[in-house]
Amino acid sequence: MRFLLRRLVAVPLTLLGVSVLVFVTTELVPGDVARTILGREASAESVARLRSQLGLDAPLPERYADWLGGFLTGRWGESYTLGVPVRDLVLDRLAASMLLAALAFALLVPVAVGLGLVAGVNHDRPLDRLVSVSGLALGATPEFVTGVVLLVVFAVRLRWFPSSAQAPDGSSLLVRLGHLALPALSLVLLCTGYVARHVRAGAVVAIESAYAGAAELRGLTRWQVVRRHVLRNSTIAATSALGVQLQFLLGGLVTVELLFNHPGIGALLLSSAVDKDLPTLQATAMVLGLLYMVIVLAADVAYRVLDPRIRLGAAS
Amino acid sequence: MREFPRPFNRPALPGATDLTRRVLLAGTGGGALSLLLAACGAGGGAPLTGADSGAPQAGAGANAAASAPPRRGGTLRAGSPPPPTAVDPVTMYDGSAIAIVQLVADYLIWLDRDFTLKPRLAEKWESEDGGKRWVFTLRKGVTFSDGTPLDAEIVKASFDRLLDPKSKSAALSAFDTVLAKGGVGVRDAATVVFTLERAFSDFPYLVSAGNYNAVILKKDYAGDFTKKPIGTGPFLLESYDASSGATFTRNPKYWEPGKPYLDGVKITFYADDQADLLALQSGEIDAQILSRPQLVGPLKGLGDITVDQVQGTGLTAFTLRTDRPPFDRKEARQAVAYALDRPGVNATIYDGIGALGNDHLFAPLFPAAPDGIAQRAKDPAKVAELLGGQPLKFTLTYDPPSKDYALTVQNQLKQAGIQVELDQRTSADFYGGDQEKDTPWLFSTANLVGWAGRATPSQFIIPMVKGGGVWNGSKYANPALDAAADAYDAAQTPGERAAQAEIIAKALHEDIPVIVAVWSGTVRAYNGRKFTGIQAHPSSYVDFSSVSQVV
Repeated sequence: MRFLLRRLVAVPLTLLGVSVLVFVTTELVPGDVARTILGREASAESVARLRSQLGLDAPLPERYADWLGGFLTGRWGESYTLGVPVRDLVLDRLAASMLLAALAFALLVPVAVGLGLVAGVNHDRPLDRLVSVSGLALGATPEFVTGVVLLVVFAVRLRWFPSSAQAPDGSSLLVRLGHLALPALSLVLLCTGYVARHVRAGAVVAIESAYAGAAELRGLTRWQVVRRHVLRNSTIAATSALGVQLQFLLGGLVTVELLFNHPGIGALLLSSAVDKDLPTLQATAMVLGLLYMVIVLAADVAYRVLDPRIRLGAAS
Repeated sequence: MREFPRPFNRPALPGATDLTRRVLLAGTGGGALSLLLAACGAGGGAPLTGADSGAPQAGAGANAAASAPPRRGGTLRAGSPPPPTAVDPVTMYDGSAIAIVQLVADYLIWLDRDFTLKPRLAEKWESEDGGKRWVFTLRKGVTFSDGTPLDAEIVKASFDRLLDPKSKSAALSAFDTVLAKGGVGVRDAATVVFTLERAFSDFPYLVSAGNYNAVILKKDYAGDFTKKPIGTGPFLLESYDASSGATFTRNPKYWEPGKPYLDGVKITFYADDQADLLALQSGEIDAQILSRPQLVGPLKGLGDITVDQVQGTGLTAFTLRTDRPPFDRKEARQAVAYALDRPGVNATIYDGIGALGNDHLFAPLFPAAPDGIAQRAKDPAKVAELLGGQPLKFTLTYDPPSKDYALTVQNQLKQAGIQVELDQRTSADFYGGDQEKDTPWLFSTANLVGWAGRATPSQFIIPMVKGGGVWNGSKYANPALDAAADAYDAAQTPGERAAQAEIIAKALHEDIPVIVAVWSGTVRAYNGRKFTGIQAHPSSYVDFSSVSQVV
């Protein structure tokens, strides 16, 4: 319980640090959002006027305080560049990212856990090597490459799936999922190897453990041992890895989002940083920071729930 | 990334609109992807050649389509990069925002693909007082989509808005020294009079689409175009989402009888060029608003894909500081110019569809382009003679959209013994800073700047090479050229203009403050089996009022 309380106190403090960091680093990056909005050929007077209208000529601490007050009270402001409310923009993009992440995660968990188990149970055999090497190779292949191959084969040549992750307005859930199939598959290919390696490692340890040996001596079949003892212990080992992948799936998908034309929050973070669109950048960073911390917390809690040794260790 | 005619505005052509993230994946395999797609192209058929013909490089369907009568109905689905800023006709500068506005609003005059001026909301125009006063007669019976009739007061209000010194529009610089606030008058309900600050024979270009912010908007327009999209154009903006795209329906009040043929247009935003191209290949969209020659070149004639192409007036300016070493010596500038393989640049950067440049600012498309100056070509012996055994080494500064160009130049100059150190900046850095003293694109020793095409050569000459020009990055100063530039603008006959053009072109060709290796061409890729009437435009403008489905 004390662990949870400590973490919950750390969340807002960390977010505050994130907001200061983003504000300061954005200030240091070359470029000017007013110039971005008006274009390079606008006059210096026009640019100066816009900077003043946006409040960019005020001191940094003053701007930060204004922004923070607004953010905490729900006034997230308007995007400097797009002229739309930041809250709507960020939450829309977040919702799109969450849908894709959920689909990818739902595919990733059984595939990666299954392959990791298969590799672990067959460790040092050809099947283990095949799974491990394939996972490594796919994980090391940039998503741009796997994405393009998937698109060329399944969207352009076979036309089984649409190339864009965006379904037309009013589409059914099934159609929406169809549009997300290729980007989700691309992500699964990218992440499977990493998670499967952790599952495999846990499985190898579990299967070589004394309790697994004892279970076999009691007459359980190999697969009964795997199902009753190895699976749970392997999943414990993979919990952190899955948490890391979920973080990536929610915010780190810039390449996949661009390639599959998915209006997610990763691309928004990038564009707002490039354009120095501070209200959008800050809000996006804060929302992603919060999500990351929630995921880490959830992974830690799950770890403790799944593994009593951690709880006991904490108690002692 | 990231372009076009805006007298003095930022590029709106693909590849140069680039304070955006569209450049992120540039260079990560765009050309290779096109080749891969070409290799996989449905329907087969060898790629067509003859890229400079100006004719569509069509798939089989387009040939049948060309002779078919227009058919009413259907929705054209087009792909385009997301506008980097809010869509506002007054301040827009990128190709996507311009396309959205051009579907909904209209100009007094349209700039056609061959650079002729076509009447739109103005039926005719003529000059008085030696070119210092211009009188425009408006078309009768035109109404805005909310029913408001077009009249001279509305036109005046539109230009007063652009001419307001507090306007944030880059059109202000387009009109600089030519037309000032208070210069627009109303003679009667159908007649607008522009009184200029000086004679300017190309003035109609400045109130045409060539000055793309010059769309005619209602008097009460307040900057909320996507929320209250009222215009006199062929389509109505039904919905707009900055993240995903825009939908349009036919404007039943459009002034041209029977048009547009389409029921509507749907634009989907693709933040990445590859995604845009793949969507076209997979049939999810029917056309691209902004196509890149390097990407669609390998797809010409494959399957359903038709690629229309046209000459342009855009360029990548290779600017050399004439006031500091090593380029304060004319011989050093000339050596660089003679070291370049211009056809090689054209092939590498523009898929061969551009026109060779000759280091002056008259594109072949400009009617006044002089034809008596010999085309400069690669000449290693001349380079050696000009350098006289002295080594030449310099730093070339540029931003990501010019990366391929910079690498090409570096390689070509290396073969001539000239060392080039590349200095790539982010776009924000390259165009940031103070334009009076330190912005890299105007103050580095040598740099590459992508310029959108312009409607008139003066729109390059005045800011780029005239003494004290606002974007004179070479710091070139030549009183004879300045005088000829003024005389060119005031010339009343083609002969006078040609004489002044020759003076300007010869000076630039000799002094080389800016190397112009190639004038860009533009392309537009679309599904030729499904639609006809889609054309490339030198400025990538869209006029979909004549587009129809193939029967």
